[in-house]
Amino acid sequence: MSSEITMPKLSDTMEEGKIIHWLKHPGDSIRHGDAIAEVETDKADMVLESFDEGVLEEIRLPEGQSAPVGAVIAIMRKPGDQPGAAPNAAHEPEEPATAIPTAREPEEPVTAIPTAREPEEPMTAIPTAREHPAAAENGEHGNGLAAPPQFHPAMSANPSAAPTAIPMPPARVVHPEAQAPAPRQIESGEAAKLKASPLARRAAEEAGIDLSTVRGTGPDGRVTKRDIDNFLREQQMFRFRRLIAPHEGAPGSRETLSAMRKTIAHRMALSKREIPHFYVTVEIDMEEAVRFKNSLEATELFDEDVSYNDIIIKATALALSRFTRMNAAFENDGISIYPHINIGVAVAVEDGLIVPVIHECERKSLPDIARHAHRLVAKAAQGGFTAEELSGGTFTISNMGMLGIEHFSAVIVPGQAAILAVSAIKDRPLVRNGQIVIGKTMMVTVSCDHRVIDGVVAGRFLQEIKRFLENPASLLIG
Amino acid sequence: MANSRYDLVVIGSGPGGYVAAIRARQLEMRVAVVECDRPGGVCLNWGCIPSKALLNSAETIESIRGAAQEHGIEVGEIRVDFPRVIARSRDAAEKLSRGVRYLFKKNHVDLYEARGELTGPHSVALKPAPDKPAPEVSMLEAEKILLATGSGERLFAGMQIGDGVMTSHEALIHDRIPKSIAVIGAGAVGLEFAYFYRAFGVEVTVIELEKQMLPGFDAEVAEELRRAFVKRGVKVMLGHGYKSMEKRGAQWSIALDAGGQPAAVEAEAVLVAVGRAPLSAALGLERAGVEIGRGGFITIDDSFRTSAPSIYAIGDVARTPLLAHKASAEGVAAVEIMAGIREPGFDLLSIAGCIYCEPEVATVGLTEAQARERGIDVKVGKIPFRAIGKAVAVNQTEGFVKLVASRQYSEVLGCQIIGHRATDMISEVVLGRALETTTAEIGKTPHPHPTLSEAIMEAALAAEDEAINY
Repeated sequence: MSSEITMPKLSDTMEEGKIIHWLKHPGDSIRHGDAIAEVETDKADMVLESFDEGVLEEIRLPEGQSAPVGAVIAIMRKPGDQPGAAPNAAHEPEEPATAIPTAREPEEPVTAIPTAREPEEPMTAIPTAREHPAAAENGEHGNGLAAPPQFHPAMSANPSAAPTAIPMPPARVVHPEAQAPAPRQIESGEAAKLKASPLARRAAEEAGIDLSTVRGTGPDGRVTKRDIDNFLREQQMFRFRRLIAPHEGAPGSRETLSAMRKTIAHRMALSKREIPHFYVTVEIDMEEAVRFKNSLEATELFDEDVSYNDIIIKATALALSRFTRMNAAFENDGISIYPHINIGVAVAVEDGLIVPVIHECERKSLPDIARHAHRLVAKAAQGGFTAEELSGGTFTISNMGMLGIEHFSAVIVPGQAAILAVSAIKDRPLVRNGQIVIGKTMMVTVSCDHRVIDGVVAGRFLQEIKRFLENPASLLIG
Repeated sequence: MANSRYDLVVIGSGPGGYVAAIRARQLEMRVAVVECDRPGGVCLNWGCIPSKALLNSAETIESIRGAAQEHGIEVGEIRVDFPRVIARSRDAAEKLSRGVRYLFKKNHVDLYEARGELTGPHSVALKPAPDKPAPEVSMLEAEKILLATGSGERLFAGMQIGDGVMTSHEALIHDRIPKSIAVIGAGAVGLEFAYFYRAFGVEVTVIELEKQMLPGFDAEVAEELRRAFVKRGVKVMLGHGYKSMEKRGAQWSIALDAGGQPAAVEAEAVLVAVGRAPLSAALGLERAGVEIGRGGFITIDDSFRTSAPSIYAIGDVARTPLLAHKASAEGVAAVEIMAGIREPGFDLLSIAGCIYCEPEVATVGLTEAQARERGIDVKVGKIPFRAIGKAVAVNQTEGFVKLVASRQYSEVLGCQIIGHRATDMISEVVLGRALETTTAEIGKTPHPHPTLSEAIMEAALAAEDEAINY
């Protein structure tokens, strides 16, 4: 019997996918796990992987063409069947295929730490002053966050959307190169009692996976080989090509929109059409924050280096917990205040951007936030986002400090009420105790949905952020 | 006439249907079973159970003969009361069929002895079954329906049952020993009856179209079995396709085609064992919107759901392999999926296949050839029983254990055993597969000595090039 291969739904925002290349051709035999095609979705390029065995009988969707989720893109014949058998018309078509992302350009560098000395290069990682002392003195203080050249927070998923089709084990990034294969589990004592099949243990050992991070689906949560396979697939689920050089077309050329660009276009236009934006800006004296960051580094109080961006996220989270209207959505002629503070951080990738989300910031200390943010940034470079890490945001921060930006404003992510645009820390003349002095200041601008937020609230919210950043010791307590 | 409403109506009370019904009761569904023949289906009445009773008689007579030849135990003339051999087999079937009735009663499953026919996605009409009183209820209403009607013997076109031509069904009650018999088809059923008749001194010829016995099985196992059959005096004709047969006097003459060359076999009786076909006709499937796929099997998804969302199908009527224990396991799985306490999916590769001739054959998972076809880098451990102490002591040195594992993880991909009591030994490997053990665990687990199962341990070690006794 033949079966249909349909366009799988790979994220909650995915509505259609485009075939980049067919990796199998009619007549090719397909084994379980074989890559069938490269598919471009709104979030990433993925490899369509077969769950079934058989022979590819017919390609229905040619390369370069798109089809909606669920559409039949190819027909596969089961092993031993005669060619030309009618496709399986069962009411619930099997899903013989899943997808894992592909790096279309595998030679792409995946190292995570760019330097502050190259401000023209948008960055996704957080340099420290210790690593780059020049940056602290040249008058243009990078805020520490890598920022996109333009901000299109389109890729942040609507928090009210249904969870994605992708299973979500409590994934943790594993750096294979950083982690030597663990020695074979000793078959006695507590370690051996960790519920996992011998086969799963061997597969995990080979892949360098810590078994305790894998969610088991066997009886009583036993980790099986399938769980390891799913875990590995999940690790590769979202692999983005990080932006190395700005993507620019040749003069006079016309570019067909990638799925990611289409989504950005759709959601940004929707935001500007539906949401009545207004903007409020405040200048923040960052003298204390710079000292605070330097002293944290000097004392090595935390394992994790704390960046300006982490400090700004923490200050924002504290301000959001006091001004809950800023952490809300205008829905169905009502205002829904979100129960948690999930802050999305825009990160530039090739041909667009993504917004990984730090969930439940209200419960996280500054080092917790730093740890999560660094992990997400590393993932933007190396891949391995879980669906959860790219969805559920309730507030977004876009930081263009690294580009030396004086001041900018951002477009609100649909489903959220506000977005904070963070510019560079710069040496500016400042009046202190009646004297003009050279101080370090930073402009922040909040874009607000006027249906939810009025000017007074926006102003107070910014004053709150300002208060925390100008008195940064409070960030260690909250 | 009255209508009755149920959560689940199961059509068919074979090893799939009756097990599913009891499991559904345990999950507190209101359950009815519709059966047009005897409770227990083919397995209990016309398959596994009565045939194993006959094979036990065959093994007994073989061992008595062996006693005379090998143990120095003098045995007088062996006389066989063949009708009693058949009667004992019928007794076993009868006992177990009564057992199924008892289980239904104990579990409060309502049994309707009638022919069930779908009249819609939630309704089953009860029609009178042959030799049974008309049902008191004419229609059952059900939230969900489970089709478990099983399979029936297949015949080639033009074959006529009777006058010495039998399927396994007739052979089970045929209480006269023929002088000679031709067995068409060297699958499990054909070979079990070939062994049975040979044990009772019948001249047996096995005819098979394929180039090996047990098509689809491991080639080494098939060849080992062929040698064991030839040693017992069975004539095995491989690569011979059936063309036609006609009665000439007291003999049937079967015309064959051996790759273009005509051939013929004469025999007093003919056993047709060319496979089984799903019983999916006359169930009213069209009316309920249930689709049938290739070979007449009902099309199901991995939740056992048919194209009609309220109707499920399991066992022989849905897909191969046609095995009782597969049907039972599917029945439990289907009901648990319906109840929402189990994920969809079912590992067919962990279903063992067993053949109960002597030597027995038992297999699970992939053969070496199948694993290689899938592109898996395999390692194989093979241990002959003559290397195992117990096998030598009890004079059962025929056969071997072959364990197929992946080189990457030492995953146990499959196991083929041919030998005495192979069918009792395979469960170790089936459990091993279910628990995802590797050859390391099987090889390092001390197996009791002396037992035949040591061969499995040694085969696991052999896969790692660490066999001690071979």
